[in-house]
Parts: sequence; structure tokens; C-alpha cells
Amino acid sequence: MSLRVEQSLSQLLHEAFVSLRTLGKRSILALLGIVIGSSSVVALINIGHNAAMDAALIFKDMGTDTLIAQFPPKGDSRVPMRSRLDLDAVRQAVPGIAHIGALSLFSGPIVFHGRSVNANFVGSTPDIPAALRLVLREGRYLSTFDANETYGVIGDQIAQALGAPGEPLKLGDRVRINDYLFLVVGILHNQPRAMLMPVQANESLFIPADGMRRIYASPQIGNVIIRAAPGQDMERIARDAAAALQRQLTEHTVDITVPQQMIDGMTRQSRTFAYLLLALGAISLVGGGVGVMNVMLMNVSERRREIGIRMALGARQRDIRNLFLLEAITLTAVGALCGAVLGMTAAWLYAWLSGWAFALAVAALPLGVGSTLLVGLFFGIYPAVSASRLQPVEALRDE
Amino acid sequence: MMTDTPAHPGLISLQGIGKSYQLAGQHLSILNDVCLSIARGDSCGILGASGSGKSTLLNILGLLDLPDGGQYRFAGHDIFSASPDELAAIRNQQIGFVFQSFNLLPRLSALDNVALPLSYRGVSRHESVEQALRVLEQVGLAERAHHRPADLSGGQRQRVAIARALVGKPSVILADEPTGNLDSSTAQDIMDLLLALNREQQVTLIIVTHDAHIAERLERKILVRNGVVHEAGRP
Repeated sequence: MSLRVEQSLSQLLHEAFVSLRTLGKRSILALLGIVIGSSSVVALINIGHNAAMDAALIFKDMGTDTLIAQFPPKGDSRVPMRSRLDLDAVRQAVPGIAHIGALSLFSGPIVFHGRSVNANFVGSTPDIPAALRLVLREGRYLSTFDANETYGVIGDQIAQALGAPGEPLKLGDRVRINDYLFLVVGILHNQPRAMLMPVQANESLFIPADGMRRIYASPQIGNVIIRAAPGQDMERIARDAAAALQRQLTEHTVDITVPQQMIDGMTRQSRTFAYLLLALGAISLVGGGVGVMNVMLMNVSERRREIGIRMALGARQRDIRNLFLLEAITLTAVGALCGAVLGMTAAWLYAWLSGWAFALAVAALPLGVGSTLLVGLFFGIYPAVSASRLQPVEALRDE
Repeated sequence: MMTDTPAHPGLISLQGIGKSYQLAGQHLSILNDVCLSIARGDSCGILGASGSGKSTLLNILGLLDLPDGGQYRFAGHDIFSASPDELAAIRNQQIGFVFQSFNLLPRLSALDNVALPLSYRGVSRHESVEQALRVLEQVGLAERAHHRPADLSGGQRQRVAIARALVGKPSVILADEPTGNLDSSTAQDIMDLLLALNREQQVTLIIVTHDAHIAERLERKILVRNGVVHEAGRP
């Protein structure tokens, strides 16, 4: 006679099925906690993922190889910023710069065939399109030879707004700013919004920097945009460029933003946020786990007689333990599945309401469902072990 | 009282078994120096008044409770040196229990109740259901296989319980007042069934009862009185 036998898998599956079928109302209430916990874990991981994707999208068009310099005045100085800088000197002083351009900004109405639209006038140096990654749809960009010409390159949205059905704005048309007519030599492609950039190309008319004086008495350089050659240390270029620019300025300081630093900051921030949300999910999971433990303890005390009968029929301690553990896990598995569906729905709704693209986070489902099952296992062990410790004769005795 | 020689201990052999409880600070002696041996194929009645210790004796015989002292050998196993797992395996493979209150699991169908002992032997679900159906047929309840215990009459429930006791092909059936909750004609049927099993399949039958009519039909009558065991009709 062999004394060592294990229950076969098919029998275990059958037991799990029976316990699932006979889940009472009380179990459903206990499930509520589990469902909330697991759905919040699933939803939060996914929402965090979508938020990160959205943040990454902001930087995607700007690229991490771009630096933006600003020139806040020193102390109380009222001296206006200079209208031109020697960018070639900076380029020579700092190796690794691929493109460097200066912008001076002004805004006002722009008129074409009687239609008027507000636009940004961007006085730009010839290297600006490369530094800002502008893409032309038609025509050409301003060159060094255009410095004294009334030429302009127009952004997509402005071009659309100035044109009319059947009468689009074309190359060679002239648009009026104040009393000057500017000849359109180029029309830009629609550019995605670049959050960190000082100018939005779609809403701008680019004109030669020297020509700014025609529409604005004292143009000032607002920003210098630097694009580094591939594989450069951005921190070093920022430091060296700041030093080189500072040499040309007496009343202003140079403030250079390194996008990577901002990305890092945002990532850190969103990670802290995600940890916080995850902790909330974990707390509700633990609450749900206590609910499961409660139901299982009631279950064990209500089914003392059944435990006794099973022991009389030859169930070993570990069979009884497995029976109740399996029930606890079946219970939490149902909760985890409901939670996964609910959590995904919540994440989708959140993305929809925030206007984000919904993407499934790879880790959300395994982490959410897995952690829920672990909670079920953890809180199911105590009731299951206490059931298995019953002596058969005590369990069978009438109350 | 007759004792077997150690060379032929029979199926069940108890020597100097004692059992006592601590209850509310009082020492209660339930069984004193019980010596008993039962051979394969015997049919025994255990008789006694309430509180005489006959249920405790049955629990000890069925390995549900351990005695305090003495010697107990069951089918060649020394009960005192067996681990809880081994005791469970002996219960599963050698003993079939029939209880007064049937003790079927209410959540399971008659068929699943009968198949339950086989699941603790590593028999697959499919095979255990087949065997259970065969035994249910044997006790005349094949057409009720998928009913819950609540939908069965008392006599039918006890038949299901007997089928559950039989499904593992045990060497002993231990029945605790098996007809106690049944009317007299159903009780008669159940006793006929149990005796037929004893006669035709050589299953050892041990029945706890206080009913003299039932005891009449069994070969041996073991009397328990105040924790002491006598055998009627033997010196």
C-alpha cells in the first residue's frame, strides 16, 4: 500500500470550480475590495504610462540636442538687449555646435487682400531653420543675401488664414505689415507644436533680422537657439556657449536651458507621482486582502464539519490547506480579472478625457493581476493553515 | 476475553488502550485498558448506553482520535508510530465511514460526494467519477447521481454515504448508528445492504448501535460499559 499520493490536477480544478460556483453574497462583498485594489493598480500603472508617453511627445519634436538661451537683464539694468550678436564668434569658441541662430520677436497684424491676421514677426538669422528644424513646403528660406530685402517666410497657419477659398496665399504674393510690403519667398509645412520653443512656427512670419527695424524701432534679440552636432555633451556645450555669449554682453546674463535636464525633472516628478498612486493601490489591495481573509475564516468555521468529513475520508492536512488556499486564490482571481477589466476601462476613460492617445502599458496587467493574486495567497494562508490544523475528531463533533 | 497471538494479529488489534480527557479541570477517563481484536470479514456490533465511551472507541478504531496509551495495530501498521499523513492514507484506503447524520457535503452532488475519497488518492477526476457511478449503481441510486443531498430522502442519503464508504474498496466499514435517523423499514434496508456487503465482499463491518435488533444480526457483540469493554457470548 502506498501512503504517499498527491491529488491530481483534474481534481483540484474541479474543487476550484465548485467553490467558484458556490461563492456566496459575502464573498462578493469581499471581492469588492479586491476589485477596487486590483483595478486601481492596473489603472494607475496604465495612466502613468500614458502620461509619460504624452510628456515624451512634447519633447519629441524639439529633440534633446537643442539648447535655448535667454538673456535676462542684470539686476535693475534698463539697458535694452542688443539687436545683433556675433554668432560666428560663439561658433568658433565652442566646438560641437551644428547650428546657431538668433531670434528677435515682435507681434502685430499682417494684412493680405484686406484680410488681417495677428502673427509673430520673427527676425531670424540664416541658420534659424536648421536650428528650429523648420521644413519648407514651397519656395526657399532667407539667406545672408536677403538681409536688406523685404522678404518673408510664412508659417502654415498664417498662410491658411490669409488665403481664401480659390485664392490661396502663393509664393510671390506680398503681405503688408504696417506700411511695408513683404514678398513671400517661402511657405512652411505645418509644424507640430513645440512646447519649449519660444516661437511657434505655424503662427509666425520669419523675416531677416536686420529688417526688424522697419516694423519695430528697437529690436532686441530674445533668444539664441543652438543645435549641437550628434553625440555631444549637452551640459558642456551649454556651459561653453553661455561663457562665449556672456563675453559679448555687459548688462545681461545668459541663461541656457538644457532640455535633458527638464526631461529628467519631469520624469522624476511623474515617477514620484506614479509611486504615490501605486501606494494607494497597494493600500486598497491590502484592505481587500483583509476582506478575503475574513471571508475565508468564516468559511473555515462554517465548514468545520466538512473539514472533519474530508479528513475522515482521507484528506491529509495539506489537502485541507490546499483546498482553502485554492478557494482564496479562486476568489481573488475572480476579483483580479474584474479589476483588470475595470482598471483598463478606467485608464481608457482617463486617457480619453485628457485627450491622450491610449496605449496599453505592458507591465499593467501582469503587475496588477499578479500582485492581487499574491495578496490572496498571503491572506489566504492563515485561514487555510488553521483549517488544516483541526483534529478530525474535533472537527466532526457536533457544536 | 480472547486475545490473538502476536503472529496473527488479525486486521485490528488493540492492547491496553486508554483514553481520558481534561474537561473543566476534571480528569475524565473514557476508556480503560481496552483489549480487542477483529479479524478480516468479521461483523461486530459495539453496544452501550450514551456516554459509555462507544463513540470514543469508534473514533479510535477509525483513526480519527489517538488513544493515550496502549498498542494499536491496524492492518499491520503501528498507529502510534504513524505520521498524520500516514493515518490519513490508512483512513482513505482501508476504512469506510458511515455516520448517523450521513455527513454528505451539501455543496456536492451525490456523485461528487461518492467520488471524493478517490480524489485523495491521486485518481483523476474522470476515472473517479466512473468508479463512483459504478458504486452508486450497486446501492441502487444511479439515477439520482446528480442530485444534491438536500434533494434526497434519508434512506437515499445513507445509501450515498455507504457508496462513498465503499468506493475506495476498504477492508473495514465503520458505521456509527447508521440507522439512527431512519424509519424502521428504511433502517431494515440499510442493514440488509451493509450485511450483504459483509457477506459477499468480505468487508469487515463494525457498527455502533444501541438497538438490540440490529445487534442481533451481527456475529459479535462488544459491550462498552463505563469505559470497559466486554464481549457478549465469549468468556
